[in-house]
Amino acid sequence: MNGLHGIIFAYEKRNDLRELGEIRSASSIPFGGRYRAVDFALSNLVNAGVTDVGVVLHGRYQSMLDHLGTGKAWDLSRKRGGLRVLPPFNYQQDWGVMPFRGKIEALAGVRTYLDTIRQDYVALMDGDLVVNLPLADIYESHIKSGADITVVCGNDSFATDDGTYFEKNGEGRITEVLFRLHQPRGYRGLEVYILSTQLLKDLVDECSGKDQFSWRRDVLQAKKDSLYLRSYIWKGFAAQIRSVQEYYDRSMQLLDPAIRAELFTPERPIRAKGADKSSTYVGPEGRCVNSLVAEGCRIEGTVENSVLFPGVVVEAGAVVRNCVLFKEDIVRANAQLAYIIADKDVEILPDRTLMGHATYPIVLAKGSKV
Amino acid sequence: MKKECIAMLLAGGQGSRLYVLTGDMAKPAVPFGGKYRIIDFPLSNCTNSGIDTVGVLTQYRPLELNSYIGSGQPWDLDGSTGGVHILPPYQGSKGGTWYKGTANAIYQNIGFIDLYDPEYVVILSGDHIYKMDYSKMVERHKEAGAACTISVMEVPWSEASRFGIMAVDENDMITEFAEKPKEPKSNLASMGIYVFSWKALRKYLTEDEANPESENDFGKNVIPAMLNNGERMAAYRFEGYWKDVGTLDSLWDANMDMLSPESGLDLHDESWPIYARSVNAPPAFLGMKSHVTHSAFNRGSVVDGTVENSVLAPNVKVGEGALVSYSVLLPGTVVEPGAVVEYAILGEGCRIGKDCKVGGTPESVTDGTWGLTVLAPGCTVAEGREVRPGVMLNRNGEEVSK
Repeated sequence: MNGLHGIIFAYEKRNDLRELGEIRSASSIPFGGRYRAVDFALSNLVNAGVTDVGVVLHGRYQSMLDHLGTGKAWDLSRKRGGLRVLPPFNYQQDWGVMPFRGKIEALAGVRTYLDTIRQDYVALMDGDLVVNLPLADIYESHIKSGADITVVCGNDSFATDDGTYFEKNGEGRITEVLFRLHQPRGYRGLEVYILSTQLLKDLVDECSGKDQFSWRRDVLQAKKDSLYLRSYIWKGFAAQIRSVQEYYDRSMQLLDPAIRAELFTPERPIRAKGADKSSTYVGPEGRCVNSLVAEGCRIEGTVENSVLFPGVVVEAGAVVRNCVLFKEDIVRANAQLAYIIADKDVEILPDRTLMGHATYPIVLAKGSKV
Repeated sequence: MKKECIAMLLAGGQGSRLYVLTGDMAKPAVPFGGKYRIIDFPLSNCTNSGIDTVGVLTQYRPLELNSYIGSGQPWDLDGSTGGVHILPPYQGSKGGTWYKGTANAIYQNIGFIDLYDPEYVVILSGDHIYKMDYSKMVERHKEAGAACTISVMEVPWSEASRFGIMAVDENDMITEFAEKPKEPKSNLASMGIYVFSWKALRKYLTEDEANPESENDFGKNVIPAMLNNGERMAAYRFEGYWKDVGTLDSLWDANMDMLSPESGLDLHDESWPIYARSVNAPPAFLGMKSHVTHSAFNRGSVVDGTVENSVLAPNVKVGEGALVSYSVLLPGTVVEPGAVVEYAILGEGCRIGKDCKVGGTPESVTDGTWGLTVLAPGCTVAEGREVRPGVMLNRNGEEVSK
């Protein structure tokens, strides 16, 4: 069957998300006021006409399972195909002892699933990637180009934790695959790949037969001369959520209208689960500027340069500057916050003051009371 | 599938007193309170009250309402043994007619109700804003051993002559019913919410249908007939916020009430959530120069101007230097930079050009002609134009009279 199948890697990886990553994998981290990181990969796929998506999970996936549900929010609750949640049922190692060491190991862990894929092509994506790609166009150019693997790269100065970087020649062919660089160079890989389903299965079988687990080392780097690896350079916003600093900087970028226009282009809407909340209300003495605000918030105090998730309460006299406040956070009267990322259900008691810095935002763990 | 209790929701109202605002939709589909539509209130009340089977009777311009309700999933009314069902008039083997009145609408759907063989049927209306636990009302109906229970609330005596008024005995059993009485005997007004024992209602509906004199209306015909026959009729006293939003003024009032939970309408209170089918859009953005006070706003909106005492639905844009005051902006409206909108209701997708002036404060008009300014869905007001207070514009931007 002609067409594109989606596989999203949402398993736990080494990262620097501190308390934000203790209760969830990076893929289910809340981002942008109402989304989870994985909403972007799912929406990118669905907007490209993809009807079947597998989500590979391993470790701390309770939060992800809650979020995905039946896949209805992305129209992926189908009689045939739709969303498939993929715990590592073919995994050879002890359950829960070892995290996946790489994408090949993850794919080998769900090897029988690969045989059920109905489509001839597969798009591989990471769940921690926040982007709005024209994936249908990328798929089309992949087919036209005759490439074995299309490698989607970003083109900005942002480095990412444990990133993969690529160098290309004038025709767009990948000439170098680089990682663990002290000083990143080349194009930042977005960990989005398109290839044929058959090639994917062959590569997984070949590598896992030799106990090779790394996609970038054992496939991309090792085979860059024998396979035609073609680059696709995406010039727009593309964030990989792998550290607290990256999370914070990327969140603050959303206050820029040009960035929002790129990420939330109406032609390719980012879908997310709804929240059953009322409208957001700003009180008579409230002040809220340069901020992204989800529904159900109540703002009686001051909010500047911040991202507020649903149901946040900022009481009278409280001041919130340069913060990211997750769902249902409460900032009591006259408290002051700056450069804080507060996970869900955090309560800041009256008159408390907490300040981080733009280069070291403070993370408050879920449910904490200050 | 036997059910103890099902609800029938009368959603066929034309909404003629909302004039241009309804556009091509039935009144229950009119947006309310930023993210809701009027029908979200009775549907959410049903699901919160444990009623999982709801028939929605539609007749006029049903397309938008039908697609809004869809499978009923946002209200958890998509279960396999019940759920929400749209019930338009239909042709049977002996022909069919439009719904002639509220009672006739239910009469024509006796077949639907019989499918569930319920003990009780709750009759609801699609133009009220309120949070109510219908299960308590059904409880009262059972305890009173009534054939019919009518939900009532105390209204100021001075306003009693505008309502259907119930006189009750010491047990709150109804002794008399008067539609808009000149000299009210009580200040208990009917809220248009009824619980019937289905056996009794079925009998009265059949008799009412056979009576050619009848207007086939619950308030005018069925309730009086039951009273005259000495059926046990109970009043159920409701305390809390309730508003009929059938007129432009009351719709505006209810939106303003939503901003002040002291009014009794607290939509942030999640113990009795009101559900809605929400649009997909990014969170709202309030710009550096925005100034938003005592106002509500929603997804997809971008505010760079001043908004005070107003309710903004999703995907509303308010440009830099614009002022929106004491107004209700329905989904997708755009207020361009420098425009002023005061005491207005702007229909879906309205566009107010730069430096326009739409509406005005009650103090700005001294000749007694002041009123809300109301724009039909899709109306565009060209740059610099002034639309006086009390004026209504149709979708082509032409003035129409009330």
